[in-house]
Amino acid sequence: MKKTTIKGNIKGNRTPSRIFEEEIQDAVRNGARDLQVIADGQHGIGGRIWPRGEGIKITVEGPVGQRLGSMGMFGTEIVINGSVSDDAGWINCGAKITVLGDVTNGAHNAAAQGILYVQGGGGARCDTMTKHNPRFDPPQSWYFRDVGDTFAEFKAGGIAVVCGVDPRNPENILGYRPCVGMVGGAVYFRGPIQGYSAGDVQLLELTDQDWQWLTENMKPYLEAIERIEYYDELTRSKDTWKKLIPFTAQERAKKKAFKMSITDFRNNIWETGVGKGGIFAEYLGHPSTVLPYVTTGEDRRYRPVWNNYKYAPPCEHACPSGIPTQKRAQLIREGKLKEALQLVLQYSPLPASVCGEICPNLCMQSCTRAQVDTPFNVRELGKASVDLKLPKREKKTGRKVAVIGGGPGGLSAAWQLALKGHDVDLYEAAEKLGGKLELCIPRERMPQEILQKELSRFEEIGVKVHLGAIVNRKSFDDIYKKHDAVVVACGAHKPRMMNVHGSDDMVSAYDFLKGINIGDVPNMKDKRVVVIGAGNVGMDVAAQAYHCGAKEVTAVDIQKPAAFGKELEIAQALGTKIVWPKFTDKFVKKEKKIYFTDGSSLDADVVVISIGDTPLTEFLPPSVHTNKQGWIEADEAGHTSDPKVFAIGDATKLGLVTHAIGHGRKSADAIHALLSGRSYYMPAPKPMVAYDKIKTSYYDICKGEPFKPRTEATRCMSCAVCRDCHMCEATCYYGAISRKDTPDGSYEYVVDENLCIGCSFCAGICPCGVWEMVENI
Amino acid sequence: MEPASRLDHNHELSIKDFPYIVRWRDDRCKRCGRCTAVCPMLSIEPAVVVKRVVQSEGLTPEPKAVRYTTTMVKQTTNIERYCIGCGTCTLVCPNEAIEPEYNPRHKFNFHKNKGGHPYRRGGRRNDPMPSTLDRLRFTRISMLTDPALDAGRHEFRIRTYLGRILPAEELPVIMVNGKLEVDKTSGKFIPPVREIYPVMIGSMSIGALSPTMWEGLAMGITYLNEVEGMPVVMCSGEGGMPHRLLKSRFLKYFIPQIASGYFGWDEIVRALPHMIEDPCAIEIKYGQGAKPGDGGLLMAHKVLKLISEIRGVPMGVDLPSPPTHQTQYSIEESVAKMIQSMSMAWGFRVPVYPKISGTRTAKAVLNNLVRNPYAAGLSIDGEDGGTGAAYNVSMDTMGHPIASNIRDCYHDLVAQGKQNELPLIASGGIGKKGNLAANAAALFMLGASAVSIGKYIMQAAAGCFGDEMNRCNVCNLGKCPRGITTQDPKLYRRLDPDVVAERVVEVYKSLDIELKKIFAPMGRSTELPIGMSDGIGTDDHAIAERLHISYVC
Repeated sequence: MKKTTIKGNIKGNRTPSRIFEEEIQDAVRNGARDLQVIADGQHGIGGRIWPRGEGIKITVEGPVGQRLGSMGMFGTEIVINGSVSDDAGWINCGAKITVLGDVTNGAHNAAAQGILYVQGGGGARCDTMTKHNPRFDPPQSWYFRDVGDTFAEFKAGGIAVVCGVDPRNPENILGYRPCVGMVGGAVYFRGPIQGYSAGDVQLLELTDQDWQWLTENMKPYLEAIERIEYYDELTRSKDTWKKLIPFTAQERAKKKAFKMSITDFRNNIWETGVGKGGIFAEYLGHPSTVLPYVTTGEDRRYRPVWNNYKYAPPCEHACPSGIPTQKRAQLIREGKLKEALQLVLQYSPLPASVCGEICPNLCMQSCTRAQVDTPFNVRELGKASVDLKLPKREKKTGRKVAVIGGGPGGLSAAWQLALKGHDVDLYEAAEKLGGKLELCIPRERMPQEILQKELSRFEEIGVKVHLGAIVNRKSFDDIYKKHDAVVVACGAHKPRMMNVHGSDDMVSAYDFLKGINIGDVPNMKDKRVVVIGAGNVGMDVAAQAYHCGAKEVTAVDIQKPAAFGKELEIAQALGTKIVWPKFTDKFVKKEKKIYFTDGSSLDADVVVISIGDTPLTEFLPPSVHTNKQGWIEADEAGHTSDPKVFAIGDATKLGLVTHAIGHGRKSADAIHALLSGRSYYMPAPKPMVAYDKIKTSYYDICKGEPFKPRTEATRCMSCAVCRDCHMCEATCYYGAISRKDTPDGSYEYVVDENLCIGCSFCAGICPCGVWEMVENI
Repeated sequence: MEPASRLDHNHELSIKDFPYIVRWRDDRCKRCGRCTAVCPMLSIEPAVVVKRVVQSEGLTPEPKAVRYTTTMVKQTTNIERYCIGCGTCTLVCPNEAIEPEYNPRHKFNFHKNKGGHPYRRGGRRNDPMPSTLDRLRFTRISMLTDPALDAGRHEFRIRTYLGRILPAEELPVIMVNGKLEVDKTSGKFIPPVREIYPVMIGSMSIGALSPTMWEGLAMGITYLNEVEGMPVVMCSGEGGMPHRLLKSRFLKYFIPQIASGYFGWDEIVRALPHMIEDPCAIEIKYGQGAKPGDGGLLMAHKVLKLISEIRGVPMGVDLPSPPTHQTQYSIEESVAKMIQSMSMAWGFRVPVYPKISGTRTAKAVLNNLVRNPYAAGLSIDGEDGGTGAAYNVSMDTMGHPIASNIRDCYHDLVAQGKQNELPLIASGGIGKKGNLAANAAALFMLGASAVSIGKYIMQAAAGCFGDEMNRCNVCNLGKCPRGITTQDPKLYRRLDPDVVAERVVEVYKSLDIELKKIFAPMGRSTELPIGMSDGIGTDDHAIAERLHISYVC
């Protein structure tokens, strides 16, 4: 075949690459199949030739430019006598390129098919981005000596062979960091290397198939580059060869992100450095295991406690006499009506008179049931207590106690002491028992028959009552000597008067009310009455004044009036006006006028002063201290400065009748302890159960049905006391709560702490507020 | 006062007043109590409700009332137990029956001052808006004009220097046999310098953090150093350090902090002769970006055996760190004295730098440091930093954003020709919106030599629930539902330190890739682009002008 020669330099005129390319393409179009190209640095020689089925051979001489054989096609065979510049075989599409010399940077970059045979070595970045199109054989790149840095980056297919003969760098024939980002193909090499992109490729021995391919293809390569004499050396042993192949996508996905597991790191590095258990092990006492969010047993943050009756129900808490109304309702629910009514006598000897009539019923004011409809009706329960049997008395102790004063406080103390088996002498200055109940409270509020009926209990229980017995200093000493303890319950009878002009012309509330109750009724027809002090006593005065014919009653006070309840209602219903704040300046009897410091005045025929009373304590020995205001100094159990003397009720501090009853009971307990030779410890008051712990939602509204103890008892919500309803047991999702009988015949609800997660559902749903969550320490 | 039994909702707050409303779904709930068992604030509680319907079935009105009680999970209106929106209930609910929902119309700040105590909390400034850092873009793509860099292919050296770097002409070196050697006869002081990763873990104390969290972080950074070869360092916070760590070879990865409470320092000093490595550096805390002028307080209930022994204090006492160092008289005197003392403790082998809160007056401190040969740098903590406990008013309104503060300081150094000598460390809100690498890179380009992160690592490594809508943020109460900021073993044992460590490693490895993705197109692979402000721009004209960067739109 005729050889066509194309020269790149004609008589010193270098042909530009664009013209040179046109000349080669024209020659091929005109039938040239064997081209001799004598180049002068032209680029892209030998590429893009489509000989339409026929082979075409191009021999190149002279200095060639970049991208020799770029986009070379199948059927094109290029042989260069000498070295070539950068990017030889760029995007090779099938050409066979033989370089009888070196290739510089970027040889066979992005080759997709074809072959590059290199007689020498390669520059940097050779074989990057080569591919394998599955429709064709993969491209091959053969380097006889070595290659430069960053070889085979992002190689996606094709085979590179680096023979490692006489390398320029005897320590590393693949250059610095080959195979970065390589995902396909293989690199066979023979000789030492210094690292590769370990994240992308793995270094492996050649398989038999690899070896077969290599040895088979080695011969034509060596022949093409005229180095067949190396055949034996290069194919002597498979072991002198290695390959770098990429991890598959699957392997890559499975690859661990960590060079070392944290567990291994902890065991082998961390704890070797800082000690077993880590840096805090020596300070921490708990296991180093991880806890779940939801825990049981001792790992719970909170745990439920069945606090049955740990707190006081509001009724009991509010009652100054300490009557456990809730317990009475419970007894009624259990069908023990008699016991329920009887129980009250352990706390008060006057339930019908006090609970049933004159008490403002603090228990009912505080009753949780009021949040649903109306409070539990203690008043009716009190009234139902008028005919109770006497409770059993304890065995006689032979100890003697004197009680001075037959008012509510003294009666309470005498009652309790008698029940405890002591001999009680009760000294009352008046001719009747009852104190202020008898003397001061208007009869309309305190029906006589009920009071007298209840007062008859005292004789029956064996209290020795001494009526008309005025105790003075001398008789007190006598009483003191003859008794093991003395209770002073003399009440407060000395009206507090005001140091203003005209105070001598005023009447004290005590004298006014007492006069009426003992039958000395003043005629107040058409009189205008001013009451100074608008408390409940002031209201009683106002009401009585109207009953005595008064035309107009005005109660004045220096502050918001303290009157409340029945007393206030009655007085206001009768027409009492209440005015405040008013500070009295003077009362001029002649003018029938009372003047106030603000310059105002009221017409007043009668002025009743009702700003409280203090006790008369002249009969007491100096060993019993009183304070500056005249009250006897005593604690909640009535202890005074004299160990044998106890003081209670209004003698120590003004209060309600129920306060005096409670005080009497507590002092009786203290005296009983004293007489029994025990120390008395004041029982710590039970805190009241919080209202929001009582789940009122369980109860439906009851509409004003007539009072019957049994129906009333079902209205009681059993605050703070278990009603044994099993709601907790049923609600607990984990079945951690169960009911257990106790040896004393009672029961309790218990928690299996291995099941309980401390969710507080039991506490959240308990109708009585018995379950409580506490920190699980 | 009226008797309680008469009142119903008088003075009770409405659920609508609260920042989070618990959405509970009756139809999905099986009343298993998992939510109420885990609620850190006891904001939700089981309750009983009654339902009543009146039905009439016949042809004429024949009313029949049906009444039944049922249990539910109810949100409390007790502000002491307000729902913090942490969502632990949602996390443990098997039925997707419960979820707190943010209430944008809440009136919490009107009410959260019971007993006259202002609202205190932990967390961060409640400002969900993007910070200045998030408004910066990397607008100079150098790969088109300079040799191309490829984040995946090229090797990067992301490192910075902690310590004062003397200019070449001031280095006391002499030529010996053709080699440079230190001239020991010159008597000149060569400041210690550490080469570290430019993103550090900022100061969070043992006490503020639980032992599991702190150890997890410590393990994570040690792993990065030992296994990955990334020299990430971590500041101890002011709460001492455990002896085991002080005496280990890992101490070099840690920066012990000394602050105004000096907690744990007698223990550290006692451990000095047993140390086999010097620490990376010493940080002197003067201020905290989240709460400038507000001191620290570790509540007594957090001071258990661990804290007591590490901090060298009795158990069960409040541990206040005052807002200022009490034995110092001026910031100039204080800084100089403290730097020298701390340097002396380790024979001037350890870099010592102060940390201050972001402030208009930062330059005054900086200028002092420039003249102090022992100062190793300045750390500035911006207002978006976090805290374990502070007054809400301090957190929300006190402080200075980090961007312009660091920029001004850098310019100040440039004006004195010292920008390559004294490193600035920036912190406070880096990665606030999750853009850790971008925020860090932006700060480098504004002039920071390194940045510190705190909240970001807590969220990324331990799943901290907190956010800028005041979610959770009860670090101060020791009730952290994740177990990050609590000393209650029942809570902190929820946190596996190994998982925290693993996450720290993951965070840093991915951060490293992201930083490369920013630096490569900008043409930086060897030195950190500190002060390379021509690389950033913003679409906010005012920001551009203030920071002296380009305005782009």
